[in-house]
Amino acid sequence: MRNPWAQTGNYRTSYVQDTTIFANYREIVSVVLLLLALCILPLFLERSQVLVLNFILIYAIAVLGLNITTGYAGLISVGQAAFMGVGAYTVALSAPSLPFWLTIPLGGFTAAIIGFIVGIPSLRVKHLYLALATLAFQEIFVWVVGRSPALAQGAAIPVEMRNFLGLEIGFRNHNYFWYYVVLFVLVLMVIAWRNLLRGKYGRALIAVRDNDRAADAMGMDPGRTKLMAFALGAFYGGVAGGLLAYMQRAVVVEEFTLSRSVALLAMAIVGGLGTVVGSLLGPAFIEFLRLYMERLSEWMKSNAFIQSITPAGVDVASALLPLSFGLVIVLFLIFEPRGLYNWWRLLRSYFRTWPFRY
Amino acid sequence: MVDFVQNLISGVAVGCIYALAGLGFVLIYKSSRVINFANGQFIAIGAFMAYALAVWVKLPVLLAALLAMLLTAGLGFLVERVFLRRLVGQPIISVIMVTIGLASVLDGLMYLTPFGSGNFTFPQFLPQGGLSLGGVNVSYPQLLAIGFTAIFLVLFSWFFQRSVLGVSMRAVADDQMAAMSVGVSVQQVFALAWAVAGLTAAAAGIVVGAVSGLNQDGLIAIGLAVFPAVILGGLDSVPGAVVGGIIIGVLQSFSTAYLDGLFSQIGLVGGGSQYVMPFVVLLVMLWFKPHGLFGTEEIERV
Repeated sequence: MRNPWAQTGNYRTSYVQDTTIFANYREIVSVVLLLLALCILPLFLERSQVLVLNFILIYAIAVLGLNITTGYAGLISVGQAAFMGVGAYTVALSAPSLPFWLTIPLGGFTAAIIGFIVGIPSLRVKHLYLALATLAFQEIFVWVVGRSPALAQGAAIPVEMRNFLGLEIGFRNHNYFWYYVVLFVLVLMVIAWRNLLRGKYGRALIAVRDNDRAADAMGMDPGRTKLMAFALGAFYGGVAGGLLAYMQRAVVVEEFTLSRSVALLAMAIVGGLGTVVGSLLGPAFIEFLRLYMERLSEWMKSNAFIQSITPAGVDVASALLPLSFGLVIVLFLIFEPRGLYNWWRLLRSYFRTWPFRY
Repeated sequence: MVDFVQNLISGVAVGCIYALAGLGFVLIYKSSRVINFANGQFIAIGAFMAYALAVWVKLPVLLAALLAMLLTAGLGFLVERVFLRRLVGQPIISVIMVTIGLASVLDGLMYLTPFGSGNFTFPQFLPQGGLSLGGVNVSYPQLLAIGFTAIFLVLFSWFFQRSVLGVSMRAVADDQMAAMSVGVSVQQVFALAWAVAGLTAAAAGIVVGAVSGLNQDGLIAIGLAVFPAVILGGLDSVPGAVVGGIIIGVLQSFSTAYLDGLFSQIGLVGGGSQYVMPFVVLLVMLWFKPHGLFGTEEIERV
């Protein structure tokens, strides 16, 4: 028996071993350590910094869902923000009468049902067409919300939760409370993601993505597999949207537009499609990029020289975000299609074999 | 009845814009199976270049339009050379995602120019008013849209039926491997498809400028409405793009006239159903007839 602590390569030689979650003890230890670190992290941070973390973790949940549809099933989705919106509006409408641990799953299920309906064309056509189905849904969603008086026509609907099991949630501890809720949900969702995709269903998805005809011939149903992927991805989006609604204490339609969907896709690509680590790294990268781009545009507004060379009527702030997101998508796809996850992998193997080269 | 015909005609004029923009889109899809999400940005850039050349450089409008079309064709060519050529052999979905990223980049670049916000109108180069036929008024910009599309259709069909390049494009669309083996340069065909897509997108943008005026969000929304048009006509069919475009244009004009009231009765206030109906059609088409009216159904043999 090899020493399970010193094991380095991939020694999974059978199907049963391949479906295990952790290859060795070291991975278990590192996951536990990471979780502990995430648990105590807010104790050292300001309220505003916790807010950034909250956004990253919420987007990580949505990106996990996108990683089922786009990463595993190979179906491009430009509608993930709309699925988040479905979850958020479900929460906004049901929050006055139901507790949050019911409204958030409810948001997820509503999104899943709609995802199922949007995904119906996958029974007949291949992946290219489905990108257009999600685009259509994204546009229809924003339009319908903007025209519905019941949804405040897209203006802010407050979502209040002041009290949880006797704990008063106010201005000071709001962000901290929701940080731990989001973290808990994220851990649940990652476990579900891993368990779902390491078994039969995940393998069917990969098979369908890589060669649907061969998968069909081997007894899988490509249409049904893809439809499931759509519903699951939408479920993750809906849960993330519900959390976002509580965290922001309001729902506005601007959070769920096409450009946000593109940003989510950027997160998935930058992180590395189809990986858990990537689903965390991608949102972190894009959110920090957004933060620094906002600072940069603030700085450019206050700088006299830059003000003097920009022509009148030019809004640099609104230019920097799409420009940087788009560049990140394009450059990563061309130069590092496996995303930040691959850098993480290389870094790990570097330290594992240090001082020798891999 | 007069209202009906009037709506029909303005719908056809708008539909011609979609048809023009759809031509290039279909060309790219036919030759390389890539869905170009940056089409709306091409439309906007073409239109803004024409505006800049006509108003800032003070060229005659027609010359400015022609130059802008050529420049946008150059942009399409450049995009293919710089970004897409590197992705040959990668899965198609990466290429499509690159066009999504590219759309975002081009959006950002446009925000860096004064065109990012505000409305712009072309200098008046068509006479005021229009033709009046039995109470139905057809304005000159609408005639321009219809005429432009007709000219492009004739040029396109000549190009595909007669010219060597056009025939080789059809060959690549039909079977890449076979085309390569008889000496067709697939790379050249891809580059040409992107250049032509830029050209037709710019033409569409210029017509928009003549009909209604320029605004970045509006132009990009037109790019998005091209998707329903091409799906309706069939993604890989050139005549389909034209028919689909015209149907979507007419649908939009009719939904403004007849559907807004209906929507407010079911509780969706504020009108503007012309913006959503194309996407409803897109979704319904994907459910029931995904290959469109004229598209070829994929028949796969192992």
